[in-house]
Order: sequence, then structure tokens, then C-alpha cells
Amino acid sequence: MSVLSLDASQGSQRLRELVGLVPSGDRSFYLRISGLENLVFFGRLHGLRRREAIARAEEMLERVGLADVADQRVAFYSHGMQKRLSVARAFLTDPPVLLVDEATHDLDPAGAREVRGLVSEAALRGAAVVWATQRIDEISGFGQRVTVLAGGRVTFSGTVTELVARADSTRYLLRLRNGGLEGEALVPVLERAIGSLGSVQTAADEFVLALGDRTALGEALVRLAEEGVQILSCHPERSALEEAFVAVAGGR
Amino acid sequence: MSVFAVSTRPRHGFIREASKVGAFLRRDFLVAWSYRLAFASDLLTLAAMTFTFYFVGRGFDQSTLPLIGGSRPTYMEYVAIGIGVSAFLTFGLGRVALAVRGEQLMGTLESMLMTPTALPTIQLGSVTFDLFYIPIRTALFLLVTAVAFGLDFRVSGILPAAAVLMVFVPFVWGLGILLAALTLTFKRGANAIGFSALALGILSGAYFPLALMPHWLATIAEENPIARAMSAIRSALLSDAGWSAIGPDLALLAPLSVLSLAVGLFAFRLALRRERRLGTLGIY
Repeated sequence: MSVLSLDASQGSQRLRELVGLVPSGDRSFYLRISGLENLVFFGRLHGLRRREAIARAEEMLERVGLADVADQRVAFYSHGMQKRLSVARAFLTDPPVLLVDEATHDLDPAGAREVRGLVSEAALRGAAVVWATQRIDEISGFGQRVTVLAGGRVTFSGTVTELVARADSTRYLLRLRNGGLEGEALVPVLERAIGSLGSVQTAADEFVLALGDRTALGEALVRLAEEGVQILSCHPERSALEEAFVAVAGGR
Repeated sequence: MSVFAVSTRPRHGFIREASKVGAFLRRDFLVAWSYRLAFASDLLTLAAMTFTFYFVGRGFDQSTLPLIGGSRPTYMEYVAIGIGVSAFLTFGLGRVALAVRGEQLMGTLESMLMTPTALPTIQLGSVTFDLFYIPIRTALFLLVTAVAFGLDFRVSGILPAAAVLMVFVPFVWGLGILLAALTLTFKRGANAIGFSALALGILSGAYFPLALMPHWLATIAEENPIARAMSAIRSALLSDAGWSAIGPDLALLAPLSVLSLAVGLFAFRLALRRERRLGTLGIY
């Protein structure tokens, strides 16, 4: 395998100059020293002179919104702040390749969005970003090409749209109403309407409609409407991306 | 906005790598400074050890001590050098392994190895702070004990003793890197380091003359390079022989240091390659 025409298996110094890493772990800094000193240290390991490293570290801290806490020990940084510091470190030399390893897996949605935003900026500046994630939904509107690995093998490679097309949804969550009937009492009505097209179960205040192979959702919905059931909402039990992932990765 | 605006400096590889060592030095100073109590307790431990040996010395049969340059030192003169050099040994053996373990625990090992920094630079950088700190600590210790206990160290022996240390440190460092490789592979290297430091310390004549050991053990111990270094430093500091006293020992230690470093670096490289292949570099 080669990266920028360099043999990746050799892990050469030249290759490491060209790749910025955002590691998955939440601890990848020296906790007893400040965020600024951490970035300066890593900047110098990337070959920057001390003065350049300080200037660059300050610029990066500003970019990721940590300028105010630059002189604080990293031990006092929150999870999200450490992750942003990690992104700042990866940007230190504006590398042409960014390897982001599950950077959002332990962040709240707001923190995750922030990190995605920062990495998107790098991509817009021209960096190739390899974003490894288990949160499949976050690639929607963010990633361009997707490679799915399962059991150490590539099981899919293509665009996000092509991946979504692999979704094979057969289970839907419905919110229904039929006069005064609700919950378990409504199930016999629904089963009669659906007949051999599939099955219906209750799930909290919704119903799970499981369709048989090759059954169109529209056909089932028409049957329900004909039975006098009002359909308030209908959506796949899992997101299209998750369905697609399960389909191509061979999971359940 | 410019793309890839920052380019790393186009300097010669060696100069570029050497300049990174300063970054390690600053990092380790800042980390050590953040643990001020540890600084103080290290010096207190050294002081407590000295007092212990002072009282041991009062009951010690001074006639069992070897003649150095034709005269017999006091036990305090003998053991003060032993304690000082043993501190080098303990730090040297454990430092690289501790650094590796520390980086694993902090999670910084992977990030550091992803930078374009050569492995020897990382290894050297990890011990640079100690290479400054320990000689200062040892010199301070010898100065304080000399003043406090009226020890007769020869000023003319300081430079020859320092030369022995310069040759001796890479030997210990090589062993330390070897132990670090074991730590990387087997994850817990503290026991191996502790045992090695103890065994090498006992067999070096740091605290008592080798002649007090059973004959067969004393014969083995006399060939211990650390015992040779210890003996050379004592000859330099406790006799008027100066440079002439250390020549043969330097000639023996120098190639052994090269060998020790080469073996240590080779083992570390192998261990690192194995951990990278297994994906267990960050596991501790």
C-alpha cells in the first residue's frame, strides 16, 4: 500500500512528515504541561524551529478555540477540549493527509460536530482526510468516499450515495391511530390489514412493521389506510446508512 | 488561504534530529518541575541513605577496605562514591523503560512515534534530562558528603572520574534500552529492572569490598564492567594517580559501551516492530 507514492508499510520519516494523526484515545498529551507547551513539543518533533513552533501552536490553538486556555495544564481540559487540541496538533504542519481515528466516539453531539467542522476545514483547504469511525451516520453529508472494513477485509468501497443504495430496509417504525384503539388492541386490526405482506409488533408507543422480501412499503401502507388506520409517521427502524452498513458488512 | 503553508525546515538530517533533543529536555524539565515534591524527596532519600551508611561505617572493619593508590580510604569515602555511581546505574537502567512505560500510560507513545523523528532521537531525548540532572545530583551529593563528613576527594581526580562516567553511562544506557525492549514486549519490566539494578549493584562493590564475597563470586564480580567503572572512579578521586589510574579501565569500558548500546538499540527496534505488527504498542 502506498500513500503519496511512499510505501506505507515502511513507516518512513518522510511519510510521517506528510500525515497528521488525530488518535482515538482521549489521552495523548502530557497532562502536567500546558496545551501550548504540548503543541510546541510536537511541533518541534515535526522539525519546526522553536520560534516557528510557538507561532504555529498559537495559531492552531486560536483556530480550534483553545487560545484562552493555552497556558492551562492539559489535565484541566475536558474531553472535547483535548480532542480539539489533538486536531490542532494534527494541523501543526498542514499535512496533505489527515488520519482521524474515531475522533468523535467519546464526544457529545455538539463536541463531535465541532471536530467534524474543524476537519472539514482542513479538507476544504485541500487535505485528504481518512476518517475512521464506528458512528456510521456521521459520514452523511461529510464523507465523500466510503470504505467498509469487516473482518479485516474491504467489503465496500464507493460514494456515500452508493453505500446508501445498498440499504435493504424491511423494518419500519410506525405511529398509528385508529379511532379509540391503541397498543396491543390495535395489533389484530393491523395484522388483518397486512396479511401475508409481513408482521406487526408493538414497540413502546410505536409499531414495528416487518415486511417480507420483495414487498413494497407503499403496498403495506395502502392496505393499512384501506382498513381505516391513520398513519401519523413512518420511518426505517435503522438509518439508511446503518442498514447499508449492516448489508455490506454482513452483520445483523 | 494557503494550502500546506508550513513546511518543515530543509536542514541536514543529523542537525535536524539533534535540535529535537532540546524539545525533549524542555518537556522533561517542565514535567519534573510540576512535581516539585518529588525533587525534594529524591534529595532527602539520598541524604537518608548517606546517614545510614555513616552509621554502618562506624561499625565497619576499615582494614577490609582495599588500598587505593597505596592508602586505605575511610568507609564513608569508599561508600559515598558507591552510592553516587549506583544512582547512575539505577537511573540509567530504568530510565528508558520508565520513559516508554510512561508514554504508554499517558497514551503519548503512538503520537510521538507518528512524528517524523528517528528512533535513536526519541531514545536519546527521553534520557537527556537525566543526563544533565544525574551528574549534577551526583556532584552535589559528593560535595555535600565531602564537606559534612570531611571526606578527602582529590580535585585533580574530578576530570578523570568524569571521563569514566562519560564512557560508563552509554554502557548502562545500552542495558537500559534492552530492558525497555523487554518492557515493550512483556509490558511489566519493573521487576526485571529492579533485579538487574540490585544484582549489578551488589556485584559492583558499591557498598562493600568485593573481597568480602566468596572467592568464586568475587572473581566473577571483578569482571563486572560496573565494578571496573566503580574502581576506576575511586582510583581517580581517592588517589593522586589521576589519568594514569583509569587508562586500562577506559580501554575495557569503551568497546563494551559500544556493544551494549548496539545490542540495546537492536533489541528495541525488534520489540517496536513486533508491537507495531501486533497493534499492541499502546497496550500496557
